[in-house]
Amino acid sequence: MSGLDWGVLLVTLLAVIIYGVIRSRGSRSMDDYLLAGQSLPWYHVGLSVMATQASAVTFLSAPGQGFTDGMRFVQFYFGLPLAMVVLSVTFVPIFHRLKVFTAYEFLENRFDTRVRTLTAGLFLLQRGLSTGLSIYAPAIVLSTLLGWNIYITNLIMGSIVLIYTVLGGTKAISHTHLQQMAVVTLGMALAGYLTVRMLPDNVGFVDALHVAGKAGRMNLIDLQFDPNSRYNIWSGLIGGFFLQLSYFGTDQSQVGRYLTGNSIGQSRLGLLMNGLLKVPMQFLIVLVGVLVFVFYQFNPSPLFFNQQETERLEQSPYAREYQLAQIKHQNLSAQRQRAVMDMQVALQADDEAAQEAAATMLRETDESLKAVKADVVGLIRKNNPVADTNDVNYIFLRFVLDYLPHGLIGLIIAVIFVASMGSIAAAYNSLASTTVVDVYRQLMKGESDAHYVQVSRWATIGWGIFCVIVALFANQFGSLIEAVNILGSLFYGVILGVFVVAFYVKSIGGRATFWAAVVAEGLVILSWYLNLTAFLWLNVIGCLAVVGIAWVLQKLFAR
Amino acid sequence: MTDTSSDLPPFVRTWPQLYAIVIGALVAEIFLFYGLMVWFS
Repeated sequence: MSGLDWGVLLVTLLAVIIYGVIRSRGSRSMDDYLLAGQSLPWYHVGLSVMATQASAVTFLSAPGQGFTDGMRFVQFYFGLPLAMVVLSVTFVPIFHRLKVFTAYEFLENRFDTRVRTLTAGLFLLQRGLSTGLSIYAPAIVLSTLLGWNIYITNLIMGSIVLIYTVLGGTKAISHTHLQQMAVVTLGMALAGYLTVRMLPDNVGFVDALHVAGKAGRMNLIDLQFDPNSRYNIWSGLIGGFFLQLSYFGTDQSQVGRYLTGNSIGQSRLGLLMNGLLKVPMQFLIVLVGVLVFVFYQFNPSPLFFNQQETERLEQSPYAREYQLAQIKHQNLSAQRQRAVMDMQVALQADDEAAQEAAATMLRETDESLKAVKADVVGLIRKNNPVADTNDVNYIFLRFVLDYLPHGLIGLIIAVIFVASMGSIAAAYNSLASTTVVDVYRQLMKGESDAHYVQVSRWATIGWGIFCVIVALFANQFGSLIEAVNILGSLFYGVILGVFVVAFYVKSIGGRATFWAAVVAEGLVILSWYLNLTAFLWLNVIGCLAVVGIAWVLQKLFAR
Repeated sequence: MTDTSSDLPPFVRTWPQLYAIVIGALVAEIFLFYGLMVWFS
């Protein structure tokens, strides 16, 4: 990183922190501190909801997924617009009318304290751990690529956000989310534009997509119903719907965002804005990864994008085997460049036979390159059994550091930081509000509003420390965006099931729901442990299991 | 805190119309993506 990059990074981060601190003044009541006085307009709500979901992992992993696996990851988000509609119809009016601080308060009104505490506990466990991952994910990548100490990077990631989160609560978080989305949009748009500009002169944007398509990266829609396939239209629409419904409907980090709307209508509009923009936004982010893939078809690519691991290999007894693999990789890269040039000529000449021949060569070379990479991954694992053998999260940033101009590198690093800050701030705030409202206030009733605000500040600090500790110990999760989603899927389905019973099955009481949730959580963890299905379906299993078991138990208890 | 129709954007009259636009946009995107996939493959 040059002085210019450092300047851009520091100015961006300082601007967000100072703005957050300025905006943090005047949050003295619980309503102000946890719900921003329910005063925000729809675009604030919408951007805050989007900034909370789009963590740094989104901007590191999603382009990496596009690079390695193509566009099919976009299908994961197909259930989101449907979930936004259901939330607008059902959840938003109920939460607003009951004037709750957290989603789990509603469960006590509907069932009893036990169900509320269990659900809040599941949320705290899941959100506390996944926030640790959200800190670790960008920290490990930045540390590896820039040579920063992982512990310091983790501490910076997890602690600078505490300044305005503790001081200003929800109001500061929602206002900084606007700035953060502006930085993120600008950074990613410039990165995508420059990637296309860096392609050879005779290769335009449409040509790049043709090349991506011939290499199997424009696999946007998979219509096959396969419960073990992670991304197809059905898992996206059905599993994704359940996941997004539980995330936005029952995860306090999101409920706390749209409860800041100044009316039911404004909260609804914010969510529907998210429903309209999320799929195109993810499409564009994954597309940046596909464009990076096309760029590397015309240029030599690293054999393995995590250089720290390859440097270790060079110093190991496997150095000779690694050198041979590198030579193979270089030859295959040159072969791939020739094939892609042939493809380009064939596309411009509209020669279908030549296109097919070049596409076959491209696919075969791609397979051979994958085989060489698999061999090197094997060597890395042999050399160090606990090495990080998944380089998906390193692809985009490696490309940024190697090819983008100075200044923009600083801006992209800032994107990773501010995206991280946006989701971490919302998570800290939700962990603190759930701890205080659903646990502490139950034990210490009748204290003043100022007392609870003070405890909320301490709870935010406490959770900040917990999440940084989790981040320090996080390791070996493969693609981190998947790890976060898998962790969510282990708990979200059950939490959603509790809310579905609460909203739609009025005949079922608290006792049946409590035990159904306990049994269903066990079933979900067992299904995941035994690898019975792709993770998105765990949300469906968890939700349906709670509803079904609660219904049966209610019948038994009624006898 | 009230839910008034003044919250609705000017191009719709009811909330269900807005919901239909959101779901319609998703359907259109899926068709568009399918078209892009076929065109570029």
